[in-house]
Amino acid sequence: MTESLLSVRDPLLSVRDLRVSYQVGRNFVHAVDGASFDVPKGSITGLVGESGCGKTTIARALTRVMADNASISGGQILFDGKDLAKIPEREMNALRWRDIAFVPQSAMNSLDPVYTVEYQLGEVLRRRGGLDRRQARARCEELFEMVGIDPGRLTDYPHQFSGGMRQRVAIALALALNPKLIIADEPVTALDVIVQRQILDQLKELQERLGLSVILVTHDISVVAYICDRTVVMYAGKVAESGTMQATLTAPSHPYSMGLRNAFPDLQSAAAGILTPIEGAPPNLANPPAGCRFKQRCPFALDLCGAEPPVIEVAPGHPVLCHRAKESAALRIDAARTETWMASA
Amino acid sequence: MSNFKAVGSRLLQLALVLWAVVTILFLMFRLMPGNPMAAYIDPTFTVEQQQQLMAQFGLDKPLWQQYLIYLGNLLQGELGQSFRYREPVGDRIWLLLPNTLILTFSSLIVAYVFGILAGAYLAWRRGSWVEQTAIPLVLTTRAMPEFWLGMVLLAIFSFSLGWFPAGGTRNPGAEYSGFLDLYTSRDFLAHLALPAATLAIYSQGLPLLLMRSNMLDVMKEDFVTMARIKGLSNWTVVVRHAARNALLPVMTSFAIAVGYQLQGNVVVESVFSWPGLGRELVNAVASSDYPLAQGAFLMIALVVIFMNLLADMLYAFLDPRISHA
Repeated sequence: MTESLLSVRDPLLSVRDLRVSYQVGRNFVHAVDGASFDVPKGSITGLVGESGCGKTTIARALTRVMADNASISGGQILFDGKDLAKIPEREMNALRWRDIAFVPQSAMNSLDPVYTVEYQLGEVLRRRGGLDRRQARARCEELFEMVGIDPGRLTDYPHQFSGGMRQRVAIALALALNPKLIIADEPVTALDVIVQRQILDQLKELQERLGLSVILVTHDISVVAYICDRTVVMYAGKVAESGTMQATLTAPSHPYSMGLRNAFPDLQSAAAGILTPIEGAPPNLANPPAGCRFKQRCPFALDLCGAEPPVIEVAPGHPVLCHRAKESAALRIDAARTETWMASA
Repeated sequence: MSNFKAVGSRLLQLALVLWAVVTILFLMFRLMPGNPMAAYIDPTFTVEQQQQLMAQFGLDKPLWQQYLIYLGNLLQGELGQSFRYREPVGDRIWLLLPNTLILTFSSLIVAYVFGILAGAYLAWRRGSWVEQTAIPLVLTTRAMPEFWLGMVLLAIFSFSLGWFPAGGTRNPGAEYSGFLDLYTSRDFLAHLALPAATLAIYSQGLPLLLMRSNMLDVMKEDFVTMARIKGLSNWTVVVRHAARNALLPVMTSFAIAVGYQLQGNVVVESVFSWPGLGRELVNAVASSDYPLAQGAFLMIALVVIFMNLLADMLYAFLDPRISHA
């Protein structure tokens, strides 16, 4: 994959041909199998796809804190002039949280139950940020005000907060050391929709005010549509399509993105209420099929899809991994009809 | 305010449990076959003399009256007169209780400190050869009967090598001016070494295995992963987050282990002729010295109840989810 096809001008993070595999017995499952995308500075990039597509694996690979049986088996993660896939562990650890912070899915389980949130914020500020006790205390209050929690609650324990509040605490934690990049892994998935919206608004407001760069991992296209500037659509360990949020949602050019778009309700359209699922299931990544990985579920698959698909730029900065990407405008019209997807099943 | 209420209701529970224990003890010895006075009354006594003695001890009164007298005496700390020693049971117990408590706590503290550290270490080194050798070894120590282990230690370190005395708490003829003087003397500590080692070796397996399996669970928790993503040092991740959380159930098990240990002491105290409450209890039952047996039982029950209370309080102190619930 050539750089020019993907390039975002002056990206903060460039992932190139990244491969991450899990060892299961004697086999290797290639959960991420040659993913490339860019993350621009000062905006929110949504990493979207269904369960098992490798989005969370990528998020964790960026921190290099992975499951015991996972390893980066190839590719580059270019960040701040360094290749995070290759730098020694010491150097990586120095960079964690100071440069790359993380907002987990469930703040309930990711806050230590036996310490107050002030202790947990202070731990990061003092041990990783080099602040003294008094400075840490002041910064804690500042952070709590930033995420809209009364600083009086700093001395509370995680279980004393509601789900939404805990997620705010997790965001405050991520902001603590002014990181260059925040990776948010399904940050609102565990919350009800009203709280989801509050948290997303908060995140967006902070992102705009502080000029944060965020990677937001989600399976929820509506979350992407709500706050993301760019979208990276993943399918079966590969990037199917990436581009601006506008381009990928209004003019999806990979059949999978088109299907994904159909599977979410559109309150404005006349066809509201009719959802079209993509039949079938993603391929087994321990033994993936040759050629395009979506071909079994794709209503537009041709014989040529048995060959490895090329990356085709349908518009500047909008690469698509599909043999028929050039016909995408025509395919989109077919894809909007439910029958198209029924026939393929 | 709610804290006071919680402590209050806990104390009320405690009083109820105590009352139940006391009542069961009272009934147990009166329902046992045989005349409780058999050891005390010489068979050559005349029937009148026997009845006079029975009356003297209040044994001619109906059961409910005896029970009330018994409760009244207990409330005043009066445990009765030992048949065998012809002295107050209370004095006898106060003499032996420190020996038992010192043996129990010294061995358990050693066992738990070692077990917790080793368990945490083995969890951290999971899959290494150290772990693969250590686990079967620990299981072996759990499987060895205490009396057998005690005899082996005696055979090696006392009879063969002569490093430690074989039994008792002090050398014959040794005199000590007071409580503290005795219990801190080299003499006493040398006598303590083997029985305490026996109990410690036997007891360390539980905290070790418990700590290890808790650690393995906790290490999978999201907050431990998050601690790593925060770039915290290995020490901070393993000790401050993983071990700190894994410790909670182990601390509770300590208090409960004290109860079990008092049972185990009966065996070890006998092997090492350790003048403790456990050995005295066996002797008292064997020689039908009911007041003494009753008193010893009550004392052991008191320690167990108190340790359970301590476990509850400790848990509330260590786990904010409980104290703030």
